[in-house]
Amino acid sequence: MTRKGFPRPSEMEYPPELQGWEEMYPPYYLFSPERAQWEDRQFWYHDKIHAPDPMYPWDLIFHEAWQISLSQYNTRVFCIPPAQGVAQRMVGCYMFICAVEPPPPELIQKKAELFQKRVFYVFEHFDELYEEWLKKFRALGNSVEELVIPKELPGFEPDGVVFPAPRGYFTSFEIMDAYDRLVNSVIKGWQYHFEYLNLSYLGYLMFADTCRKLFPGISESTIGKLVAGAVVTMYRPEEELCKLARLASTMPSVKKVLGSEDPPAAKIQALSQSMEGREWLRHLEEVKRPWFYASCGSGWFHYEGSWINRMEVPFGYLKSYVERLDKGERIERYLEDIEKERERMAQEYRNLISNEDDRKAFEDAYRTCRTIYRYAEDHLFWVEHWFHTIVFEKMWDLAALLKRYHMLEDSDDLFLFNRFEVPMILEDMVTAYALGEGVPARASFWKEKASKRRAILKAARNWSPPPALGTVPEEIAEPFTVMLWGVTSEKVDEWLKAGTISPEEVTEVKGFASSAGMVEGKARVIKLLEEITSLEPGEILVCPTTNPSWAPVFTKIKAVVTDIGGLTSHAAIVCREYGLPAVTGVGIATGVIRTGDLIRVNGDKGVVSLLERA
Amino acid sequence: MEWIVWFDQLGKEQVSLVGGKNASLGELMRAGIPVPPGFALTTHAYRRFLQEAGIEEKIRDLLNRMDPEAPASIEEASQKIRGLMERASISMEVEDDIGEAYRRLSRMCQVPALPVAVRSSATAEDLSEASFAGQQDTFLWIRGMDELLSHIKRCWSSLFSARAIGYRARMGFPHEGISISVGIQKMVNSWNAGVMFTLDPATGDPSRIVIDANWGFGESVVSGECTPDQFVVDKVTMQIVARTISRKHCYFTTDPETQSVLKVPIPEERQENQCMLDEDVVNLARIGRAVEAHYGRPMDIEWAIDKDLMAPGNVLILQSRPETVWSQRKTGPLLGKKSGFDLLMERAMKPFRVQD
Repeated sequence: MTRKGFPRPSEMEYPPELQGWEEMYPPYYLFSPERAQWEDRQFWYHDKIHAPDPMYPWDLIFHEAWQISLSQYNTRVFCIPPAQGVAQRMVGCYMFICAVEPPPPELIQKKAELFQKRVFYVFEHFDELYEEWLKKFRALGNSVEELVIPKELPGFEPDGVVFPAPRGYFTSFEIMDAYDRLVNSVIKGWQYHFEYLNLSYLGYLMFADTCRKLFPGISESTIGKLVAGAVVTMYRPEEELCKLARLASTMPSVKKVLGSEDPPAAKIQALSQSMEGREWLRHLEEVKRPWFYASCGSGWFHYEGSWINRMEVPFGYLKSYVERLDKGERIERYLEDIEKERERMAQEYRNLISNEDDRKAFEDAYRTCRTIYRYAEDHLFWVEHWFHTIVFEKMWDLAALLKRYHMLEDSDDLFLFNRFEVPMILEDMVTAYALGEGVPARASFWKEKASKRRAILKAARNWSPPPALGTVPEEIAEPFTVMLWGVTSEKVDEWLKAGTISPEEVTEVKGFASSAGMVEGKARVIKLLEEITSLEPGEILVCPTTNPSWAPVFTKIKAVVTDIGGLTSHAAIVCREYGLPAVTGVGIATGVIRTGDLIRVNGDKGVVSLLERA
Repeated sequence: MEWIVWFDQLGKEQVSLVGGKNASLGELMRAGIPVPPGFALTTHAYRRFLQEAGIEEKIRDLLNRMDPEAPASIEEASQKIRGLMERASISMEVEDDIGEAYRRLSRMCQVPALPVAVRSSATAEDLSEASFAGQQDTFLWIRGMDELLSHIKRCWSSLFSARAIGYRARMGFPHEGISISVGIQKMVNSWNAGVMFTLDPATGDPSRIVIDANWGFGESVVSGECTPDQFVVDKVTMQIVARTISRKHCYFTTDPETQSVLKVPIPEERQENQCMLDEDVVNLARIGRAVEAHYGRPMDIEWAIDKDLMAPGNVLILQSRPETVWSQRKTGPLLGKKSGFDLLMERAMKPFRVQD
């Protein structure tokens, strides 16, 4: 029974400027007549958390990978009984997703048996399992890092690959092979990514449920605070910067260089001139891998960059850390205080429970959830940051090669091709190379395609898809859909409303109530980390997402609003630590709010009100 | 001899000296629960009064001559005894001490001739308070020394109200040796007032404190005359987690001259202002938590913020009683005997509703 109505996928129409968008993505990503009956029956919504903007075809690879991986853990591996997978479709360059309708009832019982057997095992052995996981994941990342992308196509293969015996495969194959391995590693890495994530989320939802039964009014941000750990791998990059800053503050010459306005390369050059400087650089080199493999954004998009290739970011922070140390300020997070506060809160909630059985159940629910929840926090650095940084580095190497041989106008045009098309461009290039001197490739074909696609993406940015399509289900069992995307009956109502108003008319946006408190202030919309210098003290930061790369910003601002991220996202955790209100996972904040707008952030309710337009 | 003891020096061990009501105010203060400031006039002061006034003999005679079976006779004796007491003078040294304490209290609140409440506080632990202390033994808005002294005497004489005499006669308690104390307490001059529950009255959630507040006296909130602002504070994090600012069209204040309650309209443009400061809300919630801890159960509390006192000492508890709705509901366990795995399985099996 449906009482809420969205357009049917089979009836979607697109503006003429988008013409040709379909060919940018794999064919099974499109709504299709032969699947219309099934597709119209499901509920599709724009994934504003991971793909708020029109998708670059290559960047879709991570989504392709998670569609398979997330889903199979629900359906085939850990068998969350009434849940199926999360399907994806492209809607005029925007990515829509859907929690697939439940399986037939007879399957639920069978899945429940498997769930019990497999999932309880994981919870019981999580500590050892996580160690194994990290080992194999790091091995995978290292193997990608070892892939060799030639810088050029040599005029002649060197003697080294001919004598004493010909190697048998050469640069042409090496390039194609490296790309194939890269792609397979991405898919595999994302298989690993979800190994314990579905269960971490389920554990969290179970504990949140338990809390709400005992304390109906408990806020999401409080539950988040009870569950979140203080020692999380995602903070390591920042912690390493703090250590480097402390070291520098004992080395006057290093301190002077770090405090200057010079670009990173000049700083490194200057440091290498002194004993002290070289000593400091040695420490820097030691921690760069892996801790500077931190994305400047979410890690999902090729244009975000990471510390390792945007060294002005960590050097900028070092400068401010050194200055703060000079003033006698503490730069590190108060880890013990955070742990103590969490323990105090847990203890107090326990004491508020008057029934003995309830208290025991609460304690065990808390313990069970905490056993595994660190996975939800720790995998993030390793997958979205470290691993994606390595992957993008290799892609940029390939892009440079293709540009060098005039297959592309600009390096970043490579990401306008999907992962199945890139091998064709590579093969076209190496074929012409193999054929000998003076043999043309179809360079202009690719260049034209790229420029057409660039125009389509631009048009797509000026077009808004409906917030949702298809049939609203009565119930959803899929844990990510509930916890991460927050699909609730209120959200659906909001989408129904949103379809009818333009961004200028929006007076209120909603997200997760991630950190309590309410403030008003001027908004500063920052889409890329480079723009952070424009931030004035006392402003409210509005940005796509934050991660430890943004950490030093939090001492300057009044509140944070993000498009991406839930209750345990970086912004949420740091804001709770600093006592700043935060609303996260708004999805459209950077699209609707403009710098200078007067806004009110209500971190208790997860509401951002636009009070006065700039 | 000790005639005067300030509330913050009192505790339950002094019941025989200052009576149950005063002693319990002292207990609250000890537990970090601020009540309107004031002092107790001890039972010694009462005894001294009887001795100095030389009326003990006469009272005994009147009681002896009274027919304890005849209500009219009791009434007559009561009137005569109370008349005797209220006409007698208080000894100079006691009066001096009362005057000094009263002036100190007035100075403390920076209000000359501070309006106070004068209340009797019975000492007989084996007698229910109700048999001694009725409405007539509490006098509000008393200003100035003359008024204060005369009302103290009226409190003393309330030991010999017809009801009290009759009750003692019926129960076979002796009239001799009974004693009484008087409490003198600042009248609250409230800027804000209202009620506070130390659990969520709507859901029974024990982790939330719910505060209803308006400007002026609490009557506008208690009577339902005006929709108050509502604040919900998380008991564990002490953060305000929800607030509803209502349109408040009036508040109540009291005219100290006529002692009548005045209903004052609130100008249109101020009606939707938050009536209370956030820091006061949190401060009040902290006190609520202390009240709950003190009584060991969820409480229903009347409170006020006093204009004459300095923050943070201006948030005052006027009255607290056990919360009854949720406390009396027979609740079994909400979760029951379940392990984390049981709960995980339950969660995994149960989809979330998206449509109602």
